[in-house]
This record gives sequence, C-alpha cells and structure tokens, in this order.
Amino acid sequence: MSSLRTRLLVALLGAVLLAGVVASAATYHGARAEVGAMLDEEMRQVALSLRDHAVLDVSRLAPGRGDPDQRVVVQIWDPRGVTVYLSNAASPLPLSRTPGFSDLTHEGRHWRMFTARSGPQTIQVAQSTSVRTELAAAAALRLLVPILAVLPLLAGLVWLILDRGLAPLARVARAVGTRSPASLEPLPADRLPGEVRPLVDALNGLLARLGDALAVQRRFAADAAHELRTPLTALALQIQLAERAKSDAERAAALARLKEGVKRASRLVQQLLALARLEPEAAETPFAPVALDALVLSVVEDLAPVAAARPVTLAATRLDQVEAQGNEDALRLLLANLLDNALRYALPGGRVEARAFRRGAEAVLEVADDGPGVPAEERGRVFDRFYRVPGTDAPGSGLGLAIARQVADLHHGRIELDDGLGGRGLTARVVLPAAPTP
Amino acid sequence: MRLLLVEDDPMIGEGIRDGLGQEGFAVDWVRDGAAAETALGAEPYAAVLLDLGLPRKGGLEVLRAARAQRNDVPILVITARDAVADRIRGLDAGADDYLVKPFDLDELAARVRALVRRAEGRAEPVLRHGAIVLNPATRAATLGGRPVALSAREFALLHALMARPGMVLSRAQLEERLYGWGEEVGSNAVEVHIHNLRRKLGAGAIRNVRGVGYTIAAE
Repeated sequence: MSSLRTRLLVALLGAVLLAGVVASAATYHGARAEVGAMLDEEMRQVALSLRDHAVLDVSRLAPGRGDPDQRVVVQIWDPRGVTVYLSNAASPLPLSRTPGFSDLTHEGRHWRMFTARSGPQTIQVAQSTSVRTELAAAAALRLLVPILAVLPLLAGLVWLILDRGLAPLARVARAVGTRSPASLEPLPADRLPGEVRPLVDALNGLLARLGDALAVQRRFAADAAHELRTPLTALALQIQLAERAKSDAERAAALARLKEGVKRASRLVQQLLALARLEPEAAETPFAPVALDALVLSVVEDLAPVAAARPVTLAATRLDQVEAQGNEDALRLLLANLLDNALRYALPGGRVEARAFRRGAEAVLEVADDGPGVPAEERGRVFDRFYRVPGTDAPGSGLGLAIARQVADLHHGRIELDDGLGGRGLTARVVLPAAPTP
Repeated sequence: MRLLLVEDDPMIGEGIRDGLGQEGFAVDWVRDGAAAETALGAEPYAAVLLDLGLPRKGGLEVLRAARAQRNDVPILVITARDAVADRIRGLDAGADDYLVKPFDLDELAARVRALVRRAEGRAEPVLRHGAIVLNPATRAATLGGRPVALSAREFALLHALMARPGMVLSRAQLEERLYGWGEEVGSNAVEVHIHNLRRKLGAGAIRNVRGVGYTIAAE
C-alpha cells in the first residue's frame, strides 16, 4: 500500500472502527452491570412479595408452563427440602440454603438466584443470565450499528479531505514532473503547508547544489575547450607552414614543431581527463595504505630520464617509513605532477629534491627545487585551473598544480607552498593524514 | 610591411611570425602586454595582431591604452574567446577586426591586408600609380599590363611609397617599415632597392628628394 491516501484512509477508518468497538464493549460492560443490578432488584422484589403473602396457598398458584423464555423461575421448598411449587417443573433448579443472591450452573445454563426464607418455606427466584447478556448486547449494538452504518460516508469524506489536504503535495509533484532537466530555478515555496514546506525547501537546496555543480562542470568544459584552442591553433599554423615550405629544411622544422604541438595537445587532454576523473563526485576510489617512501622512490626513478635530459639533479633525500590512507594511482599522479613542474621550471644544472616523512599524525610529501620559484603573492593562485605565473616560458597547461590540489583534497590533505632549496625556488609540501603505524 | 604581433604562446607566436613572414610582412613579436605598449610607442606599425589573454597586461587594456593615446594603428584581435559578448567588448574597446583561434593563416594574412588597405583609405585591393599596378594579396606587380618580377623587399618598398603618393619617406622611415627587429639592414640597402626598382619600372618611377628621402610623385 504505497499510496499515502489509501494508507491514511485505512488507518483513519480503522481507528474509527476500533473506537466504535471499544465504546460498544464499554457500553456492554456498563449495561451488563446496570441490567444485573436492576434485574437482581426485580428478583428480590418478586421473592419478597411472595414472602409477604405470608401464608402461601400453594395450591392456588398455577403450575408453571415450563416456558424457556420465561424471565423468572420461582421455586418454593418446604423445610424438608421438598418442592412445594415449581414455576418450571420440567427442569427444577437445585435447592440453595444460603439466603441472598447466588450464581449457579444448571443443565449447561447459567442462572442468577435469590433465596429468601419465609417461615418454614424457602422461596427461590431465579433467572437465566442470558437475559442480562442479551439486554447488554442489545445496548452495545445500538451504539455500534450507527457507527458501522456511517463508516462508508466517513470514508468518502476522509477521501475528499485527504484530497484537499494532499493538494499542495500534488502541486509540488506536478511542478517537479513538468520541469525540464535544464531548469534549476527553485520551486515556488509560497502557500505551502508547514509539512510540505521542508520537502520543497530540501528540494530547492538540492536544486541549488545541482546548479552549482553544473556551473562548475560548464565552466570546466568551457575552460577546457578554450585551452584546447591554443594547441590546436599552433597545430593549424604549423601544418600550413609545413604545406608552404619551400625547402626540406623548412618542412622538417615545421614538422618538428607540429610533433611538439601534438605532444602538447595530448598532454593537455590527458591532464583534463585526470582532472575530470578526480572530481569528488566521480572519484570512487577505494582507499588503502600507500607507502609514501616507496612511491617517492618509484616516481623519482620514472622521471630520472627527464631530469637527465634537462639536465637537473633529481634526488630522493629523505625517505622515512610512512604510510597514508589513499589511492596509489592518484597519489602517484600528484607526486609526478609536482616533480614534473619542478623539473620543467628548474634551470639547467639545478637541483630537485623529493622527500617523504612523518610529522606527528601527518604524512608529508615534499618536492623542493632551486628554480625561479613563485612570488609569494602568486602562490594562492597557482592552484587555479589554467593559471600560469606571468612571464613563465616553460611550456605547460596550467593544470599540473590544479590536479595536485584535487588529489590532495580527495585525500583530505592540503598543499603548502614554501621557499625552495637554499632560499631559492619552491617547495611544494603535501600534508596528508598518516595511516596508523602497524 | 611591418606588423606587431602580441602573443604569449611560443608555438603560436612562432607560427604566425613565420607564416606572415612568408607573406612578405616583417613581424615584430612580443609576448606580454607591457612589451606591446613599449613597442607601439616606439615603432610605426602597419597593423597590430593582439592576443587578449596576455601576461602582465591584458590585451583589452593594451587596446584601450593605445586608443586613449590616439594611436590609430589598425588592430586585429586574435583570441580564443569566441563568445559574442567577448567580440563585442573587443571591437568596442577599439579593435578593427576580431579573429577567433584556431584560424587559417591565409585568412589572417588577408584580414591584415584588408585592415592596412582601409587604414590607407583605399577600398580597391590593388594599388595603382600611372602604369604601375601593385597587388598586395598576390604580391604581383605589373607595368603597363606586363608582369614585373620584384623581390619581397622591393615589393614592400614600392608598396610603402605607393600607399601615400606624394609623401616623402626618409631612408630611416623606409627601413622602419621594411625591417623587423633583429633583421640585419645593410647601410645602403634602401638605395640598392630603389636602384633596382628604377631599373625595372623606369628611372622616373621614384623621385629622389635630395636630403629628405624618396617619393612617388602625385599624379
């Protein structure tokens, strides 16, 4: 039963029915007690009025007809225990010697009996208790029947009331249902009952967050397209130059630059992809302990040929045993980007150092160089996508540090920038929560 | 014809410089906005190719500053920003034309020629003076309908003189219009080119105003 309306209807009607049944039961009990008291009194009066006719001329009493519906049974006994009179001779009740009221069962029926002494005789007035039960049940039914009769009408009314009550919800549902995927304006929240308001507010909150996420995505796509234009322009130019080349030397030069341009465009695309994969919403990366010292060693080895070609001295200068909870591929990408940056901007003959160590509860990865560094006022901006420090000649997409930052964010860590080796250059320090030491 | 190229991307800058060089333009290439302003203040350029996303000083700023200083050199904006609003902003800031990256080198050259032509106050794509006809797009010259073979420099020199008939240009002014930075200019290079042009077009084609410079007499 998934419909709120059906559920409410059943619950409400059930409650009304239950209330009716409970009220009827209470009435039955009350009526049973009242009828009992009344009939007891009646029986007593009958017995006493018989006694008051002090000398009972039993012979004048007509013998009972034995009618089972007879309300009252009267029996008169003499002192020897011999019945003098029986209003219902077919089924005489046993003699009770205790005066007053008593209950007894006779031949499967329950009886209420009043016993009185009248001189030598014992007068017994009895009545089947079923009389009382029937009277009480009738009273209870008089209450229950109208309730049952009114139930269908009530159902209709409840249905209509629910319809009206749930109308705002239906309105909201229509507003959401007819909405195009592109429209993220908030739903109208005026004239809504207090119960529906939180739902609409929550929906509007979600829409706002969706809108923000979408805006980020759109900006990213626009930025990416814009950034791809630059290498594409360079490629288009070099192709035209190669076509126009009048000598083999000119053609070879244009082709060499064309190759360089393709490499650059591929790298940009790769980085854009990496960035997209590292979006917090997209990343479903299971975390595992990653040995940062081993990671540094491996990335440094990977980049050794790049360093040798610059030439730049690349060394892992501190490798403590330290682990961080993380995704190894992402952390490798982070470190590779930082080292790549350092190597790219390092001056020939320069030095780049990589380190991994533990600092309290934190695992630290450090890449330091003695290159041109980044002026303090630019340090806040270098993590922005596509941002490049003015005056930089080294080719780059402006995405390396953005990627590094995204990986750090993903690992609940941060990246600090500091001065580099010997007061020159740059140190990039990645601070991650350390995994507990085994 | 001398152009100023303002482009921060080394690959694109190199490509444009080489490509336009092949089209007979002398291209000075600077890589940031501040250098562009310095160059604009110092040299007489036939046109400026301006990227907008520049370090140190944005392209739009350079554009506005140049116009504020009443520098009316034709400026062609070359940029990756292709939104209509961006183009409008660029043109309203004083650009004469707007080209979105990536672009075709031939189109770029054609647009530069068109800009220069309009700046010289001509609508016709070819320059005429007497029997001499000069077509900057094909870099072909004819004399009385017959083709005349001219070197790139000779063509550029003749173009500079024919663009303003009657105006006398000194040797230094001609050198400025013919040679980009870093190009070796021989001490008598201009005289040599003038000599060759007279030989090919007739001695009366270019007049020497003694002590001042050279001119093509107004008709």
